[in-house]
Amino acid sequence: MAVREIEPIALALDRLELMAESGYYNPYTMFDWPEAIEPDKPWMSESLTTLAGTPMWDELTREQQLALTRYEAINFFSLNIHGIRELLSEVVMRIHDRTYAGVSEFLHHFIGEENEHMWFFAQFCLRYGGKLYPAQPSLRADSVEHLSAVARELIVFARILIFEEIVDHYNAHMATDMDLPVIAREINRVHHQDESRHVAFGRMIFVNLLEQVAKRDPNEVPLVAEYLESYLSYSIGTLYNPAAYRDAGIPDALALRRRALEHPARQAAHEQVLKRTRKFLSKVGVGRELVKR
Amino acid sequence: MTDQLRAVREFILERNSTMDTVSDDLDLIDSRAINSLAFVEFIFLLEELTGDSIDPEDLDLDDFRTLKAIEARFFTQEAVR
Repeated sequence: MAVREIEPIALALDRLELMAESGYYNPYTMFDWPEAIEPDKPWMSESLTTLAGTPMWDELTREQQLALTRYEAINFFSLNIHGIRELLSEVVMRIHDRTYAGVSEFLHHFIGEENEHMWFFAQFCLRYGGKLYPAQPSLRADSVEHLSAVARELIVFARILIFEEIVDHYNAHMATDMDLPVIAREINRVHHQDESRHVAFGRMIFVNLLEQVAKRDPNEVPLVAEYLESYLSYSIGTLYNPAAYRDAGIPDALALRRRALEHPARQAAHEQVLKRTRKFLSKVGVGRELVKR
Repeated sequence: MTDQLRAVREFILERNSTMDTVSDDLDLIDSRAINSLAFVEFIFLLEELTGDSIDPEDLDLDDFRTLKAIEARFFTQEAVR
């Protein structure tokens, strides 16, 4: 008998499936898309912009501040779109593999919902901003080929989970920010609602695969922890898009980006954004404390 | 070695604690000296060093494989210009 590299996933998903079915909405008809957004309204919470809490924000004119919220909202939604494209590819390839037969029902909901998220994020950006930012350059060469098949599988789902958790931090805040235009608030609220279930699912599948990695070779767990900590930093870096600074009319975009990323106020903000995810990773045994530095 | 190439070496060495040197023909991608997570930051570094934007949708990976290739593609042209 051949030894399976990845054991079939078995999870108790009845509650999540029921929520997905009973909570279904039609995004193509439910949003009231206004003709235009009021020019004095920020599109992203000012406290969530990449310059928030720094002198670099205070030095901007009000016009530049508002412009930055517009372009950083477009960047945030563009990152969502490209992240969803990646996760859809990965999930579609797996949905009817034997490993995932036990969870394919939920994965069908997941795929449908993520496709809809992609649509309404694109609708917002293209309708009001006239653009999406391109996907980050990526290496097609595999940076995790030194890991076992099950560890690589874990990383696929870890990336999805981390992406969802970071995005959800922003959604949860903007869903109730009364300074935002209604349409921006609504998009964040609806996404937050769905993502709460996706995060719950993502955590379950992550724990299952991590147990398989640890059982197969405990020495691989710190390598996974190292990759995940790098992925958290990478994810934060993608929020700081110099193209958004240029489009907002802010000079010296690249130098500004470097200064902002390093600023203590921004580093404290990063800790807040990543706090929940890091706490979860440490709790399940694959936190950054395992990373030798 | 130019200041630009020195900055590239520094970027690689600070992210690879087990390396103490980067040879001109080391395959930076296959060796994971620049991995997928650091690649975006690396592109921004090259943009700062050259003063030119790099279109993320128009990248040829082979331009980034070795220090020689990076120098030829991003720094030599500027010297000529």
